[in-house]
Amino acid sequence: MTDSDAILEARGLHKSFGRGPARVHVLRGLDLRVRRGEFLAVMGPSGCGKSTLLHVLGQMTPPDAGEILLDGLPVPPSAAGRNAIRRRRIGFVFQRFNLIDVLTAADNVAISLRVRGLPADGRAEELFAAMGVSHVARRKPGQMSIGEQQRVAVARALAHRPQVLLADEPTGSLDSANAADLLALLGRVHRDDGQTIVMITHSAEAAAVADRVVHMIDGRLLDARP
Amino acid sequence: MNLPLANILHHTLRSTLSALGIGIGICMLVTLSGLARGTLYEVADRWEQVRADLIAYPDIWGDNLTTLSGVGLPDKYAGVFAAEHGDLVERVAPVFLWHLKLGGQDQTVVGVDAPDADVVLGGRGLLEGRLFDPDSRFSRWLEGLLLAPSSEGDSPLEIASADLSAPSHNGLELVIDSRLAAAGGYRVGDRVSAAGHEWSIVGIVPAGGMARVYMPRRAAQFLFGSGDITKSTILFVRLRAGADPSAGARALRKPGVMLVQVRQYRAMLEQKFGVLFRYVDAVNVVALVIAFLFVMITLYTMVLQRTREIAILKSSGASDAFILRQVVCESLLLTGAGTVAGLAMSFAAAWAIETAAPLYTVTITGTWVLIAVGAAAAGAIVSALYPAWRASRVDLLAALTLE
Repeated sequence: MTDSDAILEARGLHKSFGRGPARVHVLRGLDLRVRRGEFLAVMGPSGCGKSTLLHVLGQMTPPDAGEILLDGLPVPPSAAGRNAIRRRRIGFVFQRFNLIDVLTAADNVAISLRVRGLPADGRAEELFAAMGVSHVARRKPGQMSIGEQQRVAVARALAHRPQVLLADEPTGSLDSANAADLLALLGRVHRDDGQTIVMITHSAEAAAVADRVVHMIDGRLLDARP
Repeated sequence: MNLPLANILHHTLRSTLSALGIGIGICMLVTLSGLARGTLYEVADRWEQVRADLIAYPDIWGDNLTTLSGVGLPDKYAGVFAAEHGDLVERVAPVFLWHLKLGGQDQTVVGVDAPDADVVLGGRGLLEGRLFDPDSRFSRWLEGLLLAPSSEGDSPLEIASADLSAPSHNGLELVIDSRLAAAGGYRVGDRVSAAGHEWSIVGIVPAGGMARVYMPRRAAQFLFGSGDITKSTILFVRLRAGADPSAGARALRKPGVMLVQVRQYRAMLEQKFGVLFRYVDAVNVVALVIAFLFVMITLYTMVLQRTREIAILKSSGASDAFILRQVVCESLLLTGAGTVAGLAMSFAAAWAIETAAPLYTVTITGTWVLIAVGAAAAGAIVSALYPAWRASRVDLLAALTLE
């Protein structure tokens, strides 16, 4: 893989939480490259640092050491710089959907666009149609099934056309049928739109839809190649 | 729908209570200010209806005559002003001021001669009945008894209440205004008891004149001036057309006599009772502070309860300014609803007060509505700042993850 193939690259990432004897070293010099248009699954046991890796890659928290490059350029270390990356170039799908309860599905997508300074312009309707959830556009999360909520969450994550979609255990709260539907949806987004996806998962079935699977343990990737 | 509005509508009870808290504060501000200022300025308005330019009163009373009544200036000054300044003075009306309890509260009573009634009534005519002592029979009768030359050694003159109200020259007559008539349920022909005497209500005039109760000046002088009918309380002086009141006051000045313009009466009232406004305003400020502390607690609780929602916005890249705007916007919406409710409650309260106590005046002015809106907007922003700051400090990872 050449440097120009990599849309997201992590070099020597370190991240710890806590202080003194309670300090936990979660990422220990982790290196990772994600190719443009790749669907990468990151697997590993609980507590190995998968979610922390995703949060660091998604600029939700800065690494203690190491560097992240997006599209070949280092991510600025300032909070404002990381915030700008989050706003324009990253999309998140969470295990627990994290939709705003008081807003309808359409408004959840709309506010995500408004935060980013983008016009709604029918984007929610377009995505809902693609994800088969047009019928829930005017419903609030409490009025939707969990499968519908996760599809709406994916629509929200894709609304601003992020360069990288980061999904943290997206099937973790779904039953098997809804999980299969969601994985098929992510696969279709990846295949049809060339969307780059990095997905954290425990599930081998989920990881099977990815182009490449890497394994983590104790804050490092097991695979020789990043 | 935007997020602040959605949150307000989603938490109906909490939002309603918050808006109600603000509404009560706004209602207190507008209603109490309207009652204090309305009642006081209504008196000023009525005095400004008097058809005169100057008020003459004893200079020992100082520069404020608003609370004074009883024996004041000798009546002779009426003649002096007219005789010495006939080119300047068109008319002088002596008036005796006193207080009687009627309609459930203390009323200023104006003792005036029937021919001068139009001065204090501001030209208003009678709605019902007639003026007291219309042909001055009572005045002449009393003057004959008290002002006629008497020989030394005469025994003191005793005049009984029955003598004052003898059918041939009844002096115990009152004219009241329509507002007092409505409040007290009085009609022409009713007899009322006040100041130890029985009075007949002989006429009703429209509200808006100088006072609510009028009586013959001679009766007022005799009863409330210790029998001395040579002195009134004040003299109203009307200047000829085109005369400058300020210059007129200087020209008419005499030793022992103070002259002020009628239009200065409002300022005198404000000077005398301005402290009342400050008390009322202080109570209002406390009420508003409590209302906005309530809003602050509501918003702070909201921030603590909605850390996940705030973190979701931050995970989408929302800036601190965006988060702050959401909280301030929610505060402004709550306050806006509270202000509208408060203003509506104020008008309802004004109506209720004036219905239950018709002699009170609640004046809700555009200025005070603007003050209320301004105070509410400022309070909304100030009370939202700390919750908004806390919202911007929400820990993204702690709020969104299980790690």
